[in-house]
Amino acid sequence: MSASDLTLAEVRPAWRSWLGRDAAARVVAGIAILLVWEFTVRMWAPAFVARPSRIIAMFPPVILAPELWQAAGATFGAVLQGLVIAFLLGTLIGVAIGRLPLAERFLQLYVNGLFAMPMVAILPLLTLYFGYTGDARLATVVFAAIFAIIVNVSDGARAVPPEYIEVSRAFRGSAWSRLFDVILPSSVPYLLAGLKLAAGRALIGAVIAEFYASVPGLGFYILYNTRSFKHNEAFVAVMLLAVVGVLFELLLARGTARFLPWYRRDEARD
Amino acid sequence: MLTRASRWSRWAISLLALALGALLWQAVASRTNPAFLSSFTATAARIAELAANGVLTDALRSSLAVYLTGLSAAIVIGVTIGLVLARVRLLRVALESYIMLLYATPMVALIPFIMSMMGFGFAPKALVVFLFAFFSVLYNTIEGARSLKPEMLEVAYSFRSGEWGVWRDVLVPYTLPFALTGIRQGIGRGLVGLVAGEFFLSGSGIGLLIMQSERDFDVPALYGSIVVIAVLGAALMGVGRMLENRFAAWRGLAR
Repeated sequence: MSASDLTLAEVRPAWRSWLGRDAAARVVAGIAILLVWEFTVRMWAPAFVARPSRIIAMFPPVILAPELWQAAGATFGAVLQGLVIAFLLGTLIGVAIGRLPLAERFLQLYVNGLFAMPMVAILPLLTLYFGYTGDARLATVVFAAIFAIIVNVSDGARAVPPEYIEVSRAFRGSAWSRLFDVILPSSVPYLLAGLKLAAGRALIGAVIAEFYASVPGLGFYILYNTRSFKHNEAFVAVMLLAVVGVLFELLLARGTARFLPWYRRDEARD
Repeated sequence: MLTRASRWSRWAISLLALALGALLWQAVASRTNPAFLSSFTATAARIAELAANGVLTDALRSSLAVYLTGLSAAIVIGVTIGLVLARVRLLRVALESYIMLLYATPMVALIPFIMSMMGFGFAPKALVVFLFAFFSVLYNTIEGARSLKPEMLEVAYSFRSGEWGVWRDVLVPYTLPFALTGIRQGIGRGLVGLVAGEFFLSGSGIGLLIMQSERDFDVPALYGSIVVIAVLGAALMGVGRMLENRFAAWRGLAR
C-alpha cells in the first residue's frame, strides 16, 4: 500500500473504503466462506451443528425474543461498569507507577506478572470471595481489564517529555496542575491503547465468569443453548459479542483519529 | 544497553519487592480468615508438597502437552498463511476483514460449541489453545505484510531476484518481527485458552488442580496453583519478549 492509498483510506468513512476498491473480492470471499461452512456441516456434521442457513432462519425469532437482550444487557452492563472501575483505579495506579520511583520499584514486578497471568485462573478464587453471583463476574471483569490499563498508563506517564514538566515547574504550576494539565493529557494516547486492550479482555472475562459461575448473561445464554443442542440460537449471541467487540474497536480508532490526529503510535503492550 | 552494575541493582530491587510482598501477604493473612486467604508460608509449603508427591509436576506436564501442541500448530499455520497472504494481494484483501473480525471475536464463546461437537479429551483442548492463539499470529503477520513497501519488492526484482529470493531476502525477514509480536500475543492468549479449556471442557492439568482445590476448600493449594500459573505466564511472556528483542530489535518496538 503506497502513501497515497493510506491517506485516501483515512479520509473515507470505514464502510465506504471497505466497499470501495476490491469490493468484489471481499464479497466473493465472504460468500465462499459461508458456502464452505454450510456444505461441510451438511455433509459431515450432526444436524444440530450451527450452519449459516439455519442461523439466518433463527435470526428473527431470537432477535425478537427478550431473552437475548436481557442477557446482553446483563453482560455488557457488567463489562461497562467493570471498565469504568478499572479505568479510574488503573489510571491512578498507572500514573503512580510512571511518576513515583518508589511505587515503580515495588509494584512494577507485580503488575507485569499479573498482566501476563491468564485471568481465568483466578475465577475459583473470586467465586470463593463473592460466591456464584454477578459480583464475581464484575470482579473478573475488573481484574481482567485493570492491568492492561495500568501497564499502558504507566508507560505513558513515564514518557512525558521532561521539558513539559520543566515548563510547568518554571511557571510555578502546582503538583495538581502538573498531574491534570501535563501528565494526564500527555498520556491519553497510551490510555486509549490500554482501554482498547482492556475492553477485549473485559469481554472475555465476563463470558468466562458466566460460564464458570452460571451467572445470567450472554455467556450463560450460549452455554445453555448449546447444551440444549440449539447451536443456531447460541451462535446469534456469539455474533452479537463479535459485533460489539469490533464496534468498540472502531469507535476507539475513530475517536483517536478525530480527537488525537497527531497520534501515530500504535504499540500498545499486549 | 544496561551496565552490569545497573543490572545487579535491578535484580536486587526485584528481590526486595518480592520479599516485601511476601511479608505483606503473611501479615495480611495472619489477620484474615484462613478459609479465604492462606498465608504465604502455608502456600509455599503446599506448593513444595504438591511438587514432591508429583501432583503438581503431572498437572504441569499434561497442561504443557496441550498448550504446546495448540500453540505450535497456531504459530506454524498462522505464519505460513500470513506469508502466503502477504504474497498474494487478491487473497489478502479478500480475507483481511474476516480475519480481523475473528481476531476481535472472544473465542471463549466458542468453547460450548467445541464441547458439544468434539466432546472431552486432548484434541478439543488443543483446539481451544489453537483458536485463542492462531488469529493473533495471523493478524499480526498480515499487518506486517501489508506494510511491506512495494519499492522493496521492486528493488529485489530489478536485481533479478526470483520468487525464492524474494521470500528469503525480503518477505520473511521483513515480516518476522510482526509475526513475533503476534506470537508473543498468542503465547499469552493461548495460556488463557489452556486454562479455559481445562476448566470447561474436561478437567485436567493445572486447571483441574485449581478447580479441585476450590471444591475441596484446600485454600493453600488453590493459592499455590494460581501462583504457579502466574509464574508460568510471566515466564512464557518473558520468552516471547526475549524472542522479539532478539529478532525484532530493528523495528524499535520491542521492549
